[in-house]
Amino acid sequence: MKIVIVGNGKVGYSLAEQLVREKHDITVVDVREDPLRRAADSLDIMVVRGNGVSADVLREAGVVGADLLVAATNSDEVNMICCLTAKNLGTKYTIARIRNQEYTASLAELRRNLKIDTIINPESATAVEISRLLRFPSAANIETFCRGRVELMGFRLQENDFLVGKPLHALSAQVKKLSLLFCAVERGGQMIIPNGSFVPSVDDKLYLIGRPDSLDQFFRLLGRYAPKVKQVFLVGGGKISMYLASILDRAGIKLKIVELDEKRCRQISERFPRAMTICGDGTDQELLESENLSSYDAFVALTDRDEDNLIISLYAMQQGLPKIITKCNRENYAGIARSVGLDSVISPKFITASHILRLVRGMQNSQGSVMNSFHRIAGGAAEAMEFTVTASTRHLGVALKDLSLRPGVLIAVIVRGQDIIIPEGSTALQSDDKVIIISCNSGITGLNDIYAPERSASGTSGGQQ
Amino acid sequence: MNLKLVFKVVGRILQIEAAAMVLPLAVALLYREDPSPFLWSIAIVAAAGFLLAATPTRQHFYIREGFAAVGLIWLITGLVGALPFWFSGHFASFVDCVFESCSGFTTTGASILTNIEALPKGILFWRSLTHWMGGMGVLVLATAVLPSMGIRSHYLTQAESPGPVFSKLVPKQSQSSKILYSIYCALTLAEVACLKLAGMPLYDAFIHAFGTAGTGGFSNRNASVGAYGSFAIDMIISVFILLFSLNFAVYFLLLTKKFKEILQSDELRFFLIAVAGATVLISINIYPIYSNLLETFRYAFFQVCSIISTTGFSTTDWSFWPNFSHAVLVLLMFCGACAGSTGGGMKCSRVLILFRSIRREIHRIIHPRSVEVIKLDGKVADEDTVRSVLIFIGCYLLVILSAALVISLDGFSFTVSFTSALTCVSNVGPGLEAVGPAGNFFAFSHLSKLVMSLCMIIGRLEIFPVLVLFSRSTWRRA
Repeated sequence: MKIVIVGNGKVGYSLAEQLVREKHDITVVDVREDPLRRAADSLDIMVVRGNGVSADVLREAGVVGADLLVAATNSDEVNMICCLTAKNLGTKYTIARIRNQEYTASLAELRRNLKIDTIINPESATAVEISRLLRFPSAANIETFCRGRVELMGFRLQENDFLVGKPLHALSAQVKKLSLLFCAVERGGQMIIPNGSFVPSVDDKLYLIGRPDSLDQFFRLLGRYAPKVKQVFLVGGGKISMYLASILDRAGIKLKIVELDEKRCRQISERFPRAMTICGDGTDQELLESENLSSYDAFVALTDRDEDNLIISLYAMQQGLPKIITKCNRENYAGIARSVGLDSVISPKFITASHILRLVRGMQNSQGSVMNSFHRIAGGAAEAMEFTVTASTRHLGVALKDLSLRPGVLIAVIVRGQDIIIPEGSTALQSDDKVIIISCNSGITGLNDIYAPERSASGTSGGQQ
Repeated sequence: MNLKLVFKVVGRILQIEAAAMVLPLAVALLYREDPSPFLWSIAIVAAAGFLLAATPTRQHFYIREGFAAVGLIWLITGLVGALPFWFSGHFASFVDCVFESCSGFTTTGASILTNIEALPKGILFWRSLTHWMGGMGVLVLATAVLPSMGIRSHYLTQAESPGPVFSKLVPKQSQSSKILYSIYCALTLAEVACLKLAGMPLYDAFIHAFGTAGTGGFSNRNASVGAYGSFAIDMIISVFILLFSLNFAVYFLLLTKKFKEILQSDELRFFLIAVAGATVLISINIYPIYSNLLETFRYAFFQVCSIISTTGFSTTDWSFWPNFSHAVLVLLMFCGACAGSTGGGMKCSRVLILFRSIRREIHRIIHPRSVEVIKLDGKVADEDTVRSVLIFIGCYLLVILSAALVISLDGFSFTVSFTSALTCVSNVGPGLEAVGPAGNFFAFSHLSKLVMSLCMIIGRLEIFPVLVLFSRSTWRRA
C-alpha cells in the first residue's frame, strides 16, 4: 500500500519502521532536516522535506492516490489540516494524532467536519492500557478480544508454580476443564507455540487465552490471584497520568500522584480532589519512602525520562510492590527491563504504532475475512488477531485436523454465537465465527493467509491440548 | 567494519557478473569463435561468487560498510572484467587487460588497443557490455534483480549514484532500481532499432548503443562512429547521447506526467545551454576547415555531445581543429553530464552550485551581513550539500593534478599527461595530442596505466567511496 506519514517523531519513525518491514511503500514528510536524513539513512523509504499543511508538499509526497495518510506531527492543528488537505487531494484513508484534551470532547464533530477517518490519542490509549493492567494485576499484560469476552494474558512462571517441569498434557483435570489454551511461550527472547508435550520451565513467559472467568480461576489455582488494586502510586503528572487518573478516580481507586512542577500539581489537585498530590522529585528514594511506597498495591512510573522510570520501578520492585508498570519508549530499554524482571513495560509509541498497524492490516485485507482486532505480544515477536469468518474464507466446514496451517500459526479460540470454543482436532470453521489467531510470523492480513501454501496430509491445527 | 557482510555483498555482485558473461559467450558461439575465455572466466567468477556469498554473517550494515563495499566491489569488478581479455590472448599484459576493463566498467572508453577490428566479436561485445552495466551501475542492477539483498541496499546505490544529492524515485529502493533499469533498457533498445534502420549492422548497432547508453565510447571500429560516414547515424547517436546524459528522474517525471517539475530543473536548462553554446562556439571556430554550414554543425554538435556527456565517440579526428575548440572541449570534460545520468565529469548541478556559491561569496564581501541561500531546481540546497560540493570539486582537481604528476614520469608532454589524467577521472576517453581521438593509451608505462585505472574508478564513484577504502579509520575495529 502507498502510505504517507507526516511527522517523523517517535511515533512516525516507529510506524515507518514497522510498515517498511511489511513491504509497504512509505513516504515520510517532516520540516526538520536531520531526523529526515536519519530516517532515509536507516529505512528503505522516501523522504520529503516540507510542512505537511502545504498542498504542494503533500502532492510531492504522493498523497494523490495514496491509500493512507498518518498525521503524527507534534501539533494537533497541523495534523487536522494535513488530513483535511490530503483527503481533498484524494487520499483514501486518513489518521490523525490528536492529543490535546480540549479536543477530546468534540472528537465526533472533528471527525465529521475534517473528514478524518480515525483519531488516535497516544496518551489516552496508553492510559487505557495501564488501567487494564491494573484491573487484572496477576498478568504482566493483557489483551481483549470480542468486546472483552475473550482475554489473552501473559505471566511469568515462578519456581514453585505447579506448571513447571510437567508437560502440558499431564495437567490435572481441574485445569483441563477450564476453557483456556496455552497459546504461546516466550523463552529466552524466542517465541514458541507449545503443543501437548511442551514442558514449561522457570522464567518462561506463558500466554494464556480464554474466557475471563476461566483465566481468573486458573490464577486462583496457581495461587497467584491478586485481589483488585485499591491504591496506586503514580510518579509523573503528564498527559498520560491525567487520563489514567481520571479512569482510576472514576473506578474509586485511591491515588497518590508525585509531580515535580508545582503549577502542574495545583492543576492535578484541582481536577482530582480525591487524589493525593505530592509536589516533589519522584526519583528521590527518600521521598518515596516517606510517602509510604511499600504499602501500595501498584506503582506506575510515568515520568518523561525512560531511565528514571526504569530505576524507580526497580526500586519499587525491591520494596516488594506486587504490581509495577513502567513507561519506556525506547525499545532496547524495554528488552533490558524485561530481563531484570520488570514485566509490565509499556510504550506509548508502541501502542500507537500497533493501533495504526492494525488498521493498515485491516485495510490491506480485501478478501476472505475482516480483521477485528490486532495485538502484538512479547514486544512484537508474535501477533494475536481476531477475524470474522465470511463465506469467502477457504476450507469452511473442514475439521482442523485435516487442514495444514502455516508453521508458527495457531487457531486459539473460536467464538460462535454465545459459545467460546477452544478448538480441537474435530472442530471446523463456520461462516460468521469469530476466530482468534496467534502467529509468530508477521504479515497475516486475512484468514486465508493462515493456511500453508501447499496442502500436505500430515498437517494438524497446531498445539491443541 | 563488518568485513564478512562486505564479502557477502561482493559475492552476490560476482554472481551477477558471472551471469552477465553468458551474453558475450553466446555471441562468441553465434559467430563460431573460441568460447574458452568466457568459460574460464565464468567458472572462476561464479566459484568465487558462490564461495563469498555463502559467508555467514549478521545483518549489521551501516554507511561505513556501504561505502567500503562499493569501493571494493568496483576494484574487484575491474579485475573480474579483465579475465576474458586476458584469456583471449589478444592483450600484451594483464595490466592492459585491467586498464581496458576499468575503462569499460567506468564508461571511460579509453583503450590501449591499436587495432580494434582484429579482435574477436565476443571479446568486443564483452568490452561494450561492461559500458552498459557500468553506466547505470552494477549495484543498482544488483538491487533491481536481487530483491533479497536484505540489507539496507540504499547505502550501496547511494554511493554508486552520481550527483550531489541522492534521491529515490519511489519509496522502495529495489523498485526505484527496477524503474531506472527499465527506462535504461527501453532507451537502449530504441537506439539499437534506430541505428539498424539507419543502415548499421545489428552487431555494430548493439555495440554502439551500449557505448552510448553507458556514455562510454568503445566502438568496434578503429575510426569510431566516423567509420560509417553517415549523417543519419551521427545524428541518432548525438541525440541518444544527450538523452542518456540527462537525469533519469526526468523520464520518470515524464512517465508520471509531472511536466511542471521538469521545467523547474535548473540543471537541465544549464546542460542544454552549455551544449548549444559550445556547439555555436566550436562551429564558428572550425567553419573555415569545412566551409559548409551543415558539415560544420554535424561535426561540432556530435563532438560537443560526445565530450560533455563524457562518451568519447568521434566522427572525425578533431586533433586538427584549432586550439580554441580544444580548450572548449577540455572545459566540457570538466563539467560533464547531469546528476543521476550515466555520464561522468563533475556534473552540471555541482558546477551550478559552485557558480552560485561564488556569487554569494562576492555578495558577502560587499554586504558582510547578508544572508543568502543557494537554490537548486527551485529548492533550497542545504549548507551541508553546498559544503560537500565545494570539497568535492577541490578533491576532483587534486586527484587530476596528482595523477598528472605520476603520468608525467613517462616523459610525455604536459598536454598529454594532464589531459590523459583529466579524461580518466572524468570518464571521457580521448584526451589531446597523443591520446586524442585517433590515438590510444598503449604507450604508457604499467604504473601510469594502473594509476589511470584507479583514476577512472575514483571518477566513476565520485571520489569518496574509493578514498574511504584508503582511510585507516574504515578498517579500525572500534
